[in-house]
Amino acid sequence: MSFTQFFAAYWWLMFPVFGMLMAFVGMFQTERRSNQTMDLIKSYVDQGKDPPPELLKLVAQQSDWDMDMSGVAGGNSRTGKAWTFVVFLALTAGFGTGYYFMRAEEWSFAFLIVAVTMGVMAVGSLLLLIFGRKS
Amino acid sequence: MSEDLFRDFWWLVFPVFGMVMALFGVLQENRRIDQIHDRARRQLEGK
Repeated sequence: MSFTQFFAAYWWLMFPVFGMLMAFVGMFQTERRSNQTMDLIKSYVDQGKDPPPELLKLVAQQSDWDMDMSGVAGGNSRTGKAWTFVVFLALTAGFGTGYYFMRAEEWSFAFLIVAVTMGVMAVGSLLLLIFGRKS
Repeated sequence: MSEDLFRDFWWLVFPVFGMVMALFGVLQENRRIDQIHDRARRQLEGK
């Protein structure tokens, strides 16, 4: 199997592999940064000093890598949840359209899988928007 | 052959660009947090 054949058969794998790598690296980095921030705050408290506000803001700040699906953009706010829904809906529409135009191709299932996944995420974020905590 | 490959997969430049931008964003965010930590550490040490 030549590189061209290999690439043509498995190009779509770059997306899940990239996603997995980013999630893996992101989770470890978030953990390390949180520990560093908490250590620094503890040092300030031990010395009887007030920690700088930007350091406290870092602790309060929600990371993109937190496994909290209540809204990626804008945290728990209603706007953030609505935006998450719009993003997933747009992705569903995009990949759905891709599948529709490419459905004759053998590899079109990749578009369908992503469209269905994004659709489920869109429904989930809509449910969170409607029934989630109002804050 | 590489011309065919490009013709078939030219549209991949968009998601790949997105990936590069995502990586760039992560690196920038890391640098920002490092700077906050460094500043706080210097302040703590009274420098």
